[in-house]
Amino acid sequence: MAETTTHIGMPGGTQPFMGRLLRETWKRHQTAITRLIAVGLFLGLWEWAVSSGKINPLFLASPSSVLARLVEVFANGTIWQHIFASGEVALWSFLLCVGVGVPLGIMMGRMRLVRDTLEPFIIAKYSSPTVAFLPILIIWLGIGVMSKVALVFLGGVFVIIINTEAGVSNVDRKLVETARSFMASEFQILRKIVLPGSLPFIIAGIRLAVGRILIYVVIAEMFASTSGLGYLIFQAGAMYDTTLIFVGVTILATTGIVMNSLLRLLEQKIAPWRYGLRED
Amino acid sequence: MIQVSSISHAFSRDSREGGGKLPVIDDVSLTIERGSFVSLLGPSGCGKTTLLRIMNGLVAPSKGSVHVDGTTVKGPGANRAMVFQEFNLLPWRTAEDNVAFAQELQGVSAKARKARAQETLSAVGLDNFGKYYPHQLSGGMKQRVGLARALSIAPDYLFMDEPFGALDPQIREIMQIELLKLLARDDKTVILVTHSIDEAIFLSDKIVIFSARPGRIITTIDVDLPQPRWENDEEIKASRPFVEYRQEIWRILKREVARSIADGAAVA
Repeated sequence: MAETTTHIGMPGGTQPFMGRLLRETWKRHQTAITRLIAVGLFLGLWEWAVSSGKINPLFLASPSSVLARLVEVFANGTIWQHIFASGEVALWSFLLCVGVGVPLGIMMGRMRLVRDTLEPFIIAKYSSPTVAFLPILIIWLGIGVMSKVALVFLGGVFVIIINTEAGVSNVDRKLVETARSFMASEFQILRKIVLPGSLPFIIAGIRLAVGRILIYVVIAEMFASTSGLGYLIFQAGAMYDTTLIFVGVTILATTGIVMNSLLRLLEQKIAPWRYGLRED
Repeated sequence: MIQVSSISHAFSRDSREGGGKLPVIDDVSLTIERGSFVSLLGPSGCGKTTLLRIMNGLVAPSKGSVHVDGTTVKGPGANRAMVFQEFNLLPWRTAEDNVAFAQELQGVSAKARKARAQETLSAVGLDNFGKYYPHQLSGGMKQRVGLARALSIAPDYLFMDEPFGALDPQIREIMQIELLKLLARDDKTVILVTHSIDEAIFLSDKIVIFSARPGRIITTIDVDLPQPRWENDEEIKASRPFVEYRQEIWRILKREVARSIADGAAVA
């Protein structure tokens, strides 16, 4: 330790340059490097197990064959109809979840009557499996987009409601009082204190909802569909096309990871004080 | 002028704590002259902060009334502004936007309130910190922002609820001096709630001493020390009259604080 500190700012010190570079890189990116190695090892082992014939490719497709197939389905365009079908359901469900969940959560957080009225229904819904609603939704809405959107909505909206409510009821009361002392109206308190104060919670709720939306899109499509990624995976399974199953899963997982990271970035951007990001 | 007429106040106690009412203020009457600096001093829980909130209009009293310049207080008003012990800055706004917040609520145009925010920030010595967020500022700086926010609406009456209570003792003394300097520029009426006897003597024209809960006024002391006090603060704080004021006030308060401790133990 002492050695490195004494040589700071002295290029061409006694320590070999490469060694120092490696150590610095490791210190700075330890998490990323560890993850990369873990995933790399996992994929390598997997590839080796399949290509060496230890595992029947019928049961497990190798990463390289999944990648090749992935390129192929994008190149010949057959994957797009499935992505669009799933994307349509996901997008509508997402908009509905946010459009219904956030206002409802705010009302529950601010108005006791609304909270006491809705709470039993929310608890009841929370303790029953969402998939159980699918048969009745299909009876009501058919097997088109509507029943799927309805199921995915049910699967995603409650985390948003619950998080929003938590955010709203956790808003610092001292700030509300401060606004009041400067003659804020109830509407101004909502817009300028409650909303910005609960925004980090709302975004966190939306982030959790996105994960659920992806899951329920697949579930809905497995049961009542003629296209979509869930349908694709299910069909591929029925035809023992293991590679195609993994192609579907890979696309879904990638979407999930990307969305999650984007929303995390948004969370940090919106409420830097929560993450202790100081610029001093 | 603020006229407090036979104010009594009680809080509803939570049913888990036995329910019923907890009386905090008992028949308090008080007149505060325009342009004076008045401190409310008393043991914890004596209702002095509640009285301040009642004067500001944040709390409606159980009994009695408050008149500010002849008008009955029914809620907060533009001629009164509050400075809070814990600063109460919005963490998602910069210092400048926090200051502008008060005028924003009152519908002042964006340009005018920004100019006013810069003006008041500069008055409290934070010219270069307008773009900083509260979490990037020290406690003393945060309270300067809180003070600037209150001053931004140019209130006639400034209510300060233990404004320097969360600051370390040295910063606290500096802030007291700067507050006096700032107030010398215009003729504001200040009502300060404090626990610190020294702070009350150093800052006030008049000190109102409260009993332990439920708070009654025990006595009122006029502080006659040379002005301006910030110019020779060290001499004033070491002077014979200052020490005598402190002794006299502590003699009165000691008994009440002891009572409030015994009472507090019973309530808690």
